[in-house]
Amino acid sequence: MRTAAQGEARSRAWRLWITSGPGLFWIVLFLLIPSGVMLGIAFFTNSDFGSPVLPLSLDSFSQVAGYGILGWSGANFTVLLRSLLQAGVATSVTILLAYPLVFFIVTRPAGLRPVLLLFAIVPSWTNQVVRTYAWMELLNPFAPVSHVAQVLGIIPPHLGLMPGNFAVLVGLSYNYLPYMVVPLYAAAEKLDWTLVEAGRDLYASGARLFFSTVFPQTLPGLLSGIILVGIPAFGDYVVPQLLGGDKAMMLGSLIADQFTFSPDWPYGAALTLIMLVFTCVGLIVFRRLTQRLGGGEGAML
Amino acid sequence: MNAVPRRIQRVLAGISLPVYLLLYAPLSVIAIFSFAPSLGHPGPNVAAYGLLLNDPQVLAALRRSLTLAIGSAILGTMLGTLMGFGLSRFRPAKGGGFWLGTLPSLIIYLPIIMPSLVFGISELIFFNFVHEYTGLLSAGLLTMGIAHVTFQAPYVALVVYARLAGLDPNLFEASQDLYANAVKSFVFLTIPVVRPALIGGFLLAITLSIDDFTISFFTAGPGSVTLPIYIYSAIARKGSSPEINALGSLMIATVIGVALLYYFVTRHRERSNRIPAVA
Repeated sequence: MRTAAQGEARSRAWRLWITSGPGLFWIVLFLLIPSGVMLGIAFFTNSDFGSPVLPLSLDSFSQVAGYGILGWSGANFTVLLRSLLQAGVATSVTILLAYPLVFFIVTRPAGLRPVLLLFAIVPSWTNQVVRTYAWMELLNPFAPVSHVAQVLGIIPPHLGLMPGNFAVLVGLSYNYLPYMVVPLYAAAEKLDWTLVEAGRDLYASGARLFFSTVFPQTLPGLLSGIILVGIPAFGDYVVPQLLGGDKAMMLGSLIADQFTFSPDWPYGAALTLIMLVFTCVGLIVFRRLTQRLGGGEGAML
Repeated sequence: MNAVPRRIQRVLAGISLPVYLLLYAPLSVIAIFSFAPSLGHPGPNVAAYGLLLNDPQVLAALRRSLTLAIGSAILGTMLGTLMGFGLSRFRPAKGGGFWLGTLPSLIIYLPIIMPSLVFGISELIFFNFVHEYTGLLSAGLLTMGIAHVTFQAPYVALVVYARLAGLDPNLFEASQDLYANAVKSFVFLTIPVVRPALIGGFLLAITLSIDDFTISFFTAGPGSVTLPIYIYSAIARKGSSPEINALGSLMIATVIGVALLYYFVTRHRERSNRIPAVA
């Protein structure tokens, strides 16, 4: 009996590897190993050509901390703080826009909802470069929007709303809004409205009613939305590159520069390590929060 | 949904309609500017589209983009479907411990979670080393395709897995009782059941490939300029032009077309596939 059960388990495991093995192997070979190699490079020394050479050293990390030939500079910390801030503000903007949008969709007749949701998501299916380029057309110094801002005195004449931090914020929020809408919608669609009715029977209203009945029920969706928006916004490359400029540089551009214009692989790899550390901390914190709230993940792997 | 008072519904609509407007405003601006007057073409015109369709560089980039998207989507869908199928059917019931349970999930989520810049640069370094030591895999469409398959397969796996998770496991028992072997049961039961997920996954893989810029940018070689890379370098070189606007408009129109197609196909499929789902 026992050998039969063992044989059954072994045959299942064997079938698991036959079917899932090739895909898993592919990811390990072409992503897990490469990212390991990349992080390893952070501990090598930079050669004159920007490629990593022995001996092993921590030079790249002191470079990350701001120590260079010219002494200490806080530029890297500024870039890191700006990236965190931009990601945080962009996430907040998407939350503020997504809540009304999602509840607008949810309160429509059932037949209309999928279409309305689809229309909220479709822009995110276009290429990120095209999407960001569209904002360049809207915010550049000659565009009507900039002209209005000039007349109103928000920006000095002859300057546009881009390049700069504002344009990056707009671009990031625009790019990642659908990533907030989808999980929030999933949570809002399952909302138990009898709780809202109960709250109203107890004479709660307005913000109080929202925060004690609706908000807790959408919290799991909100938390996944924060992960889906915050993490890619923090590491974004295209938006700050096209809408930013030197004074709005984010971590992504700083990393990419070390592999393209002025090659210094160990330094770039060390910066990447910093990016991954922040990404992982964010993921773990929000995952813990979700688990504590008992957010079900449904048919997730 | 009468739990929301009319007054609040009006406020929600008052905020949401401008949000929809905001979502489509930039895309419409590109479309409008693509008809803008240019040198030698006063007034609204379609000259930019004519230039575009006669530009060999654009046509070559389009061909490469399509080759890349379709080629990688085929392989990505195959690997992803097998992964989703295997993990939903053959993973031990109790979760499978670390080696059969946690590890496969971690590996599948890795490409989804990893910031695409880190993804792209890791691949850049890896392919660089491989090429340096073996002479294989020089940067080009092939390396881009490998990278695209790596991020497509997990998404396809999730779609297929979600489809199979909602399925009665007795169906597979029943097919065994009817003397179907593993291959027969895969061909006659699994494939028909997951077909909507397969089509959806394939379309998703194509969308992901066409939507990607960052990973393509870092894995591309000098001879593998695809449409997004062409647009990016054109913007970097000479800023906006009616031609780039026309190209952008065509890409947006294609995506919206595919999205609508996908919507109608899946809506139709869902209705016709209710029978196996209920059984």
